[in-house]
Amino acid sequence: MNVSALDQELFAAVIHAMPSDELSPVRNQAANQFSSLGFPTTRDEDWKYTNLSAAAEISNAWLRNRMDAAAATPSLPPPEVARPEILNQMDAHWLIIRNGSIDSSSLAELQNSLGPDIEFSKLSEQTDSTHINIDDPMSAMNAALLIDGLRLQVGANVEVSKPLGILQIDDPSQQASQIRIVIDLGENSRLQVIECALSADSGMQFSNAVTEASLARAATLEFVRIQTRSEQHIGVNRLIASLARDATLRHNAFDFGGALTRNDISVNIAGENAAAHLHGLYLASGKQHIDNHTRVEHRVGPAISNEEYRGVLNGRSRGVFNGQAVVFEGADGTDANQANHNLLLSDHAEIDTKPELEIYADDVKCSHGATVGQLDESSLFYLRSRGLDQDTARHLLTQAFAAGILAKLAVEESRNYLVDILDRRLSEVLDAG
Amino acid sequence: MTNILEVKNLQARIAGNTILNGLDLTVRAGEVHAIMGPNGSGKSTLAQVIAGHADYEVLGGSVTYMGKDLLELEPEERAREGVFLGFQYPVEIPGVNNAYLLKAAVNAKRRHNGQEEIDAFEFLKIARERMALLGMDASFLNRGVNEGFSGGEKKRNEILQMAMLEPTLAILDETDSGLDIDALKAVANGVNALRDPERAIVLVTHYQRLLDYIEPDHVHVLSKGKIIRSGDKTLALELENRGYEWVQEAASA
Amino acid sequence: MSTDPNNIESLVNRRYAHGFVTDIESDSLPPGLNEDVVRAISARKNEPPFMLEWRLKAYRHWLTIQEPEWAHLHYPQIDFQDISYFSAPKSDKDRPKSLDEVDPKLLETYDKLGIPLHERARLAGVAVDAVFDSVSVATTFKEKLNDAGVIFCPFSEAVIEHPELVKKYLGSVVPHRDNYYSALNSAVFSDGSFVYIPKGVRCPMELSTYFRINAANTGQFERTLIIADEGSHVSYLEGCTAPMRDENQLHAAVVELVALKDAEIKYSTVQNWYPGDENGKGGIYNFVTKRGDCRGDNSKISWTQVETGSAITWKYPSCILRGDNSVGEFYSVAVTNNMQQADTGTKMIHIGRNTSSTIVSKGISAGRAQQSYRGLVRVMPQASGARNHTQCDSLLIGKECGAHTFPYMEIKNPSARIEHEATTSKISADQLFYCRQRGISEEDAVNMIVNGFCKEVFKELPMEFAVEAQALLNVSLEGAVG
Repeated sequence: MNVSALDQELFAAVIHAMPSDELSPVRNQAANQFSSLGFPTTRDEDWKYTNLSAAAEISNAWLRNRMDAAAATPSLPPPEVARPEILNQMDAHWLIIRNGSIDSSSLAELQNSLGPDIEFSKLSEQTDSTHINIDDPMSAMNAALLIDGLRLQVGANVEVSKPLGILQIDDPSQQASQIRIVIDLGENSRLQVIECALSADSGMQFSNAVTEASLARAATLEFVRIQTRSEQHIGVNRLIASLARDATLRHNAFDFGGALTRNDISVNIAGENAAAHLHGLYLASGKQHIDNHTRVEHRVGPAISNEEYRGVLNGRSRGVFNGQAVVFEGADGTDANQANHNLLLSDHAEIDTKPELEIYADDVKCSHGATVGQLDESSLFYLRSRGLDQDTARHLLTQAFAAGILAKLAVEESRNYLVDILDRRLSEVLDAG
Repeated sequence: MTNILEVKNLQARIAGNTILNGLDLTVRAGEVHAIMGPNGSGKSTLAQVIAGHADYEVLGGSVTYMGKDLLELEPEERAREGVFLGFQYPVEIPGVNNAYLLKAAVNAKRRHNGQEEIDAFEFLKIARERMALLGMDASFLNRGVNEGFSGGEKKRNEILQMAMLEPTLAILDETDSGLDIDALKAVANGVNALRDPERAIVLVTHYQRLLDYIEPDHVHVLSKGKIIRSGDKTLALELENRGYEWVQEAASA
Repeated sequence: MSTDPNNIESLVNRRYAHGFVTDIESDSLPPGLNEDVVRAISARKNEPPFMLEWRLKAYRHWLTIQEPEWAHLHYPQIDFQDISYFSAPKSDKDRPKSLDEVDPKLLETYDKLGIPLHERARLAGVAVDAVFDSVSVATTFKEKLNDAGVIFCPFSEAVIEHPELVKKYLGSVVPHRDNYYSALNSAVFSDGSFVYIPKGVRCPMELSTYFRINAANTGQFERTLIIADEGSHVSYLEGCTAPMRDENQLHAAVVELVALKDAEIKYSTVQNWYPGDENGKGGIYNFVTKRGDCRGDNSKISWTQVETGSAITWKYPSCILRGDNSVGEFYSVAVTNNMQQADTGTKMIHIGRNTSSTIVSKGISAGRAQQSYRGLVRVMPQASGARNHTQCDSLLIGKECGAHTFPYMEIKNPSARIEHEATTSKISADQLFYCRQRGISEEDAVNMIVNGFCKEVFKELPMEFAVEAQALLNVSLEGAVG
């Protein structure tokens, strides 16, 4: 159960002080929604294993800071920060979102380099903001406190030449940032995204990001999310995707960092022959908590969804997986598969996994599986009999376990960086014992 | 000799694709026919249409079996009337005992013919005899229908079912595919043992190999949904040597 | 061809075979629930004070809690004041001393149900305790069981004859605070079966209870308690039927199993309460709490259930694997047709070392029925070497039904090996065609395939039940295929 909730008075005051722009009506509506819903609690089935009370505390501190700062200086100039090294490690055009604010120089650069392929617009300048999703409490909080968000539109038949990089970076302590990106892919278009979420400061932070993606007929979105936040970071991320006929979504979630991470992916299969491929890998040690929730709604068939998440848990970490596949009445020809595999390496680590099927049509092929276990003893023995020491053998086998997800990588440009970081993180997790 | 099967100008399609384009075929009692042809020529479609698979739509023509309009009958009625299809890919039915299915099938046919049903004891006696004939292990009966069977076991099981059901018309769809030489011989022995003046057998096959062991009376070459050439067993040998293109060219010339 | 195997549709359902009403004068309490009703039930059963206190505690707790809403079930609110909490055949005052004294009409009822108390029991070697509405009417084979030291009697008798055992074990597996329905049951339970198998005894025969709800507007709240002392072994069967009535009737039972060191309990259920008609009118609301406690090392509890009846089923027979090396099993076939709804599954709580559990659940949904498997596998931090394998398959027949799977796995020990697999599919057109090509009618083919689908569970049932279960399955699905 939550011990703390959002300070309603502070929240109302901050909402009142938000800029007046095209987002104002949505902010107010979302604020009302969030005020009535509040932070989810562990009594909510969807949040049974994940407690957001620390996020509420950070948010309160941030709200207080914000009121104080607003009283002192009405507008804070953004601090100058050096260009993060990560931008040079992957071949992509980068958009930087710092502490929830869109970095204007990176946006200008992007508009130059990808301008012909993608139309960028700020949500605060969009006359029609009705599409902004505020259905669940955290999306409502996001919209209520959103300073600004970005909308990307890819025209019909456009194949964006180079991946779009989105860097989410938070630096001050006591930061609560809201990030919202809206992606519209036109018919037959294609976009690749590499999203990296990191912290430049090890203080307490809370980020709440929402990505909305709408894929028109035969559009393809390939999305890799790499999360390497600090040990005190709490991250809540939601992807809401809607797939029209023949559209394809390939999504990879790599969670290596953060104190508490909650990812929600919700896919609406709205057109025939659409396909959703969701693959995730989480490595956790210490007291890390990583929660992946996915929900694929098959509203029409035939269509396929394929999902596999793998986790390695050591120390006192906790993994949570919940995969829902819902097949609506009439969605015949649905082929939905789900799998979650976990390696549990320590006496104090925990996994709570729940792959769910909810099926209202009969001409379907659905399956799910979940396993929890350890490295295969006979494989370990085999490697040791070939002269490898215990640690190397363990590392190798764990790497092989993780490689199953790496094999599904949707954006090639992120591979080298990922392999490198995965290897390092794996060593840390295995050594953390 | 009586006509067991008369197919006239048969046209049929599946999923919008027309596969059979006016096929004619007459099979008399006691005969063994081999229907050969390249992949996609309509061999399996012919077998499935005769058995009554719902995915295949008959567009025109007729199929007369023992003087009756076969196309009017439900699949199980055709089976009880004595039409047997040996499937190319026999399906697995987990948990359903092989013996149970066979006994139910045998008795369904017996009831249909106004005969008394046979009891478990008699059934097992006959089944064991037939299995010995086919060189099959008795444990077959206690396994799930085709469940976990190898390709060869599945095909032998089809022949066992044929032996038990004693059909008037047996159509064996690619029964030779995927068999090693021993399994092929066993299957061929089983089929030969079932040759009978009252029975007709139609072998649907891609290769001539099976015909080394089961000698056909007639060989037909199917191409694009029609029989383009018929002959005796030498036709099969000639096909083996010259390939299907040779007949196809000859037919279109 | 007139039938398209891809389009299997619902037809009219055959009428429920056990839907007759027995015309027996019954002694019922008026509808309604308050402390006086609880006292009245206790008084009618001449219970000792500890039992009344226990009931009142449960009742008072029940008043403070809410009906659960998390299950995937939809039904109108139950008015708990509209139910009669006690109904007994009038002749209860002079309880039968032997079968000869049992009301012949009652015996006739059991005959219709296919449970001739004397004949079949003797032939089958099954000892039967029959619970009619709320009262246990006859227990057969008492003497033979007595010789073995086995206690098998109505619960109300156990309260009086064996209070020390009842005191020690009642509520020790399912405490009255456990959930809404168990609290209600603890307050108002009327009767049920009590079994005690002494140390080292292998119960000489299968024990069996048949439950029947007869009176209108009556709820049935039976309570079963089975204790298998060290090294003992018992197999227990439970069957249920009810008459056809337009209004819904509530059944909220509690079953507690205790297996001490090296003991084994096998509990089989064929549940065929009236499911309501094809439009969902009438039928039993079946809210049951069943739990077994593998309290001693090397103990084993195995649940097998065939659930074909009830309008609503809410039932999770569970195992608490407390003893080291203890084993829990759950084998389930659940069939829902027409408007039936079932939310059923199991919980396996691994606490001891080297515990293992197996879950095999086969769900068949037809008509407009909705069925959910809900399961929990929890491995506690101290439960090293825990093993679980779960296989959970659903078969859908028709376009309007639903099949859902909600398995929870909470694993807190790194040496655990947990595997969960689930599939959902319909009967394949290829399988149907194959059977029909062999001359088997479509309906027979469906029954054959469905029975094959359930085979892993049926083989766990005692022989006499397996036959009944298969027949029931065919009746339940009759009309599901057109």
